[in-house]
Amino acid sequence: MSDISSSQSSGFDRRAFMAGAAGSALVPLTARATAQEARAPAVQDPALPVDVTLRVNGQDKRLSLDARTTVLDALREHLKLTGSKKGCDHGQCGACTVLIGDRRVVSCLTLALAAEGQEITTVEGLATNDRLHPMQQAFVDNDAFQCGYCTPGQIMSAIACVKEGHAGTDADIREYMSGNICRCAAYPNIVAAVKQAAPEIVKG
Amino acid sequence: MTAAAPEPKANMGKPVPRYDAVAKVTGRATYGSDMPLDNPAYAFLVTSAIAKGRINSFDLEDAKRVRGVIDIVTHENAPKLKESKLFSNGGYAGTTIQPLKSADIAHDGEIIAVVIAESYEAAREAANRVKVNYSAVTPSASFDSQGTTKAAAKGQNAQFKEDPKVGDFAKAFDEAEVQLTASYETPTQHHNPMELFSTSCAWMGDTLVIYEPSQYVYGLKNGVAEQLGIDADKVRVVNPYVGGGFGSRGSMTPRTAIIAGIAKRLNRPIKLVPTRDQGFTIATYRAETRHEIKLGASRDGKLVALRHEGAEVSSRADPYCVGGTKTTTRLYACPNVDSLVSIVRADRNTPGFMRSPPEVPYLFALESAMDELAVKLNMDPVELRRINDTTNEPIGGKPYTSRSLMACFDEAAKAFGWAQRSAAPKSMSDGDWLIGYGCAATCYPTQMAPAAARVRLQRDGRTRVEIAGHEIGTGAYTILAQTAAERLGVPLEKVAVFIGDSDLPPGPVAGGSNSTASTCSAVMMVCDQVRQRLFKALMPNESLADKAKETVGMGQTPSTEAARSDRPLDLEKAFDALGAGVVEEYGEWKPEGAPLDSFKAMHSGHARLVGGAAMKDKIAYAFGAEFVEVRVNRFTHEIRAPRLVGAFAAGRIMNPRTARSQLMGGLIWGMSSALLEATEIDERTARYVNDNFADYLVPVNADVPGVEVILLSEQDDHINPAGAKGLGELANVGTNAAICNAIYHATGQRIRKLPVRLENIEV
Repeated sequence: MSDISSSQSSGFDRRAFMAGAAGSALVPLTARATAQEARAPAVQDPALPVDVTLRVNGQDKRLSLDARTTVLDALREHLKLTGSKKGCDHGQCGACTVLIGDRRVVSCLTLALAAEGQEITTVEGLATNDRLHPMQQAFVDNDAFQCGYCTPGQIMSAIACVKEGHAGTDADIREYMSGNICRCAAYPNIVAAVKQAAPEIVKG
Repeated sequence: MTAAAPEPKANMGKPVPRYDAVAKVTGRATYGSDMPLDNPAYAFLVTSAIAKGRINSFDLEDAKRVRGVIDIVTHENAPKLKESKLFSNGGYAGTTIQPLKSADIAHDGEIIAVVIAESYEAAREAANRVKVNYSAVTPSASFDSQGTTKAAAKGQNAQFKEDPKVGDFAKAFDEAEVQLTASYETPTQHHNPMELFSTSCAWMGDTLVIYEPSQYVYGLKNGVAEQLGIDADKVRVVNPYVGGGFGSRGSMTPRTAIIAGIAKRLNRPIKLVPTRDQGFTIATYRAETRHEIKLGASRDGKLVALRHEGAEVSSRADPYCVGGTKTTTRLYACPNVDSLVSIVRADRNTPGFMRSPPEVPYLFALESAMDELAVKLNMDPVELRRINDTTNEPIGGKPYTSRSLMACFDEAAKAFGWAQRSAAPKSMSDGDWLIGYGCAATCYPTQMAPAAARVRLQRDGRTRVEIAGHEIGTGAYTILAQTAAERLGVPLEKVAVFIGDSDLPPGPVAGGSNSTASTCSAVMMVCDQVRQRLFKALMPNESLADKAKETVGMGQTPSTEAARSDRPLDLEKAFDALGAGVVEEYGEWKPEGAPLDSFKAMHSGHARLVGGAAMKDKIAYAFGAEFVEVRVNRFTHEIRAPRLVGAFAAGRIMNPRTARSQLMGGLIWGMSSALLEATEIDERTARYVNDNFADYLVPVNADVPGVEVILLSEQDDHINPAGAKGLGELANVGTNAAICNAIYHATGQRIRKLPVRLENIEV
């Protein structure tokens, strides 16, 4: 949360944002209607747009966002980068995985404002001049997907898995790729793909 | 070549990489909610917190104060929609419970309001501020709840035509040397495809475009048109990629027409992305089932009597059932068979098709009972299947078009190392782990449906194939491209395939594992039409039929091998003779035995599947055998399934790569249905409890260390021109029984209720 204070407008400040975030944590993210009456009034209307610059795949993108916008929704709804997928919006499935710096994060649980000033890499940023990233090529070669919906998240996670040093054994790969659900269950092929790509990625 | 691309055996196509592989690894594949819309408004659903009762009133004041809210739609101001009949009863709908029609609530999580706002964030915020005053009535949740009703399926569900029976079961069972009676239970399960149940609707004048993950674009198009009361030609459904289906997207859900109606009124595109938990109640699911199996056999293992009684839960509104007795009464030779399927009505949303709908629960019961019988007979369970193998099904005596069940058992047993098994329970272990081996049969009906296609061939060989099929992860693009390339004799890379759009020629529902057989047969036929026109131009004086037959194997079945490009047409010469630059043909194909109204129904989005046990003078099924190793920790009771081995025979294999992947995923689904998946229902409130990916357990990578798929070569000339049986729903059948059989072998404990969790083990 230390980096979010850089660009503010509309009277937004960090103290109000934190209070708003704390308040909204009381509100379940699902829309199950409840008879519950008591809700803390927001300190400030969080729907007022906030200016933010996101660095995505090496390019600065200036946006004016609702402060509650996640990195995932910023990518999908505001930057038209729809490669990252929404599968649960709760950080439970991994379909939205992107890299922030070298770290894999679930972009559905990361607020866009919290990612300002950091390098965000999405699946769209991997291939260079139509040459697939080794991990993308390995997924093709090993048929590591079926419907393809979880694939961008799997690939981002797989790249981080290798860079973290967690691709040394099949068991390690399985364990460290278990945050990404593939409902088609292409898992054995995903393991084979990570193994194929790992040496090339480690070599750089 | 990698393990992912097995070397093709006889009657198998090439294991080429997926047509859509690069699009999928680069993020360029566009799913429903990826489609760009011009200035969309965002919808967020509010769903019911009670399962039965009425809405007295809404308090929307707080919600409307949220900045950016445009409208809140409830039953008091919702667009009026017409009713649609249940899919299983000849309509389009997965449920006839129509939300926002009245103040009545029929199930937990029913849509009761839709918030429309300028942003997703505002819509969500406002939805959480909607206050509802209910009058709740105590609901009936499931089998053991008070207030349910139970009645025979026959007579209330149009798709359930008969309770199969033959001979005199009661007498034969009474007199049988060995008798077994056992009861089994399977739980509620939800498909949980990775892509959420999103819907985007955009009107252009009086024309509606829907972007939505669908397994049946023609059904959805016609269903939404019916509900809106407009001409079906004014509705277009587009979904070039679908993020998994597993049956959940085969029939229309109520959300689509609601969103379309609101978008029309607002005169603005609307995008709805429901939450994961809402997906548990706004779409369908696999209902819980109960079974009683009675088997009578002679001492040498011959079945003399078999009875299967099944009961399934459905909603108050709809008589949905899967009725798997049509398969379980015909799988083995047995002269005296009886069966009965009943439906129990509870206050639930309507269940629906989920991957191998009848076979997963019904074969769990039968294949568990077969293992129990083998134990009683002190016989190897593989040998018990061999003794009761048959070439003709016992109910009507019809011959199987082909049946490689025992070949599958033998191949899989060899690969698994079944011979190393010591038969006694609890006789194998490794340190703290009790080891169990188990096996079971799988089968799935070969089904086909009418399909149309358009094929366009250019002088330079570039080819365009159009058919409203669906890419739900099965490899539809890939095998359609392969089929056209082989049939026309053009290079694969010159073929472009267009599917997932209801403006294309009608394809079948991507369900019942019929797509490959149906769409490939249609494309083959239309490719032949293209070739015929070129032949006619090249050889105007030859007898077309004779020459065509001789040159490309037209008219032979299955003809794909013969139509390979070893004698390709000289396209330049043919097009010169024709005096044209392009040949385009459209054709409509229907399977043998298709009803008279097939083509009409195809255009109006009504599925007309034929095949399986319902054929006139034959019966067509794909078969397989599955072997599993389980390990049960003797102290913690943790259960692992380190090895799953399956051998399968399904007629022509169009592409061993995509086939293997589907079967591999199926095996993992099967393991999951035994050990992981169950939707828990609060019996007091009839509400789903674990409606998210943290609590509804699906397999992750660490759950499946070893999966082996063996594809058997099989040729069947009696099913369809493509010679394909369909295998998307073959591998996840029987696995649940194989696992329980292995747990019995490991622990000596027979478990008849799924899923099996460590608390169920009593070692």
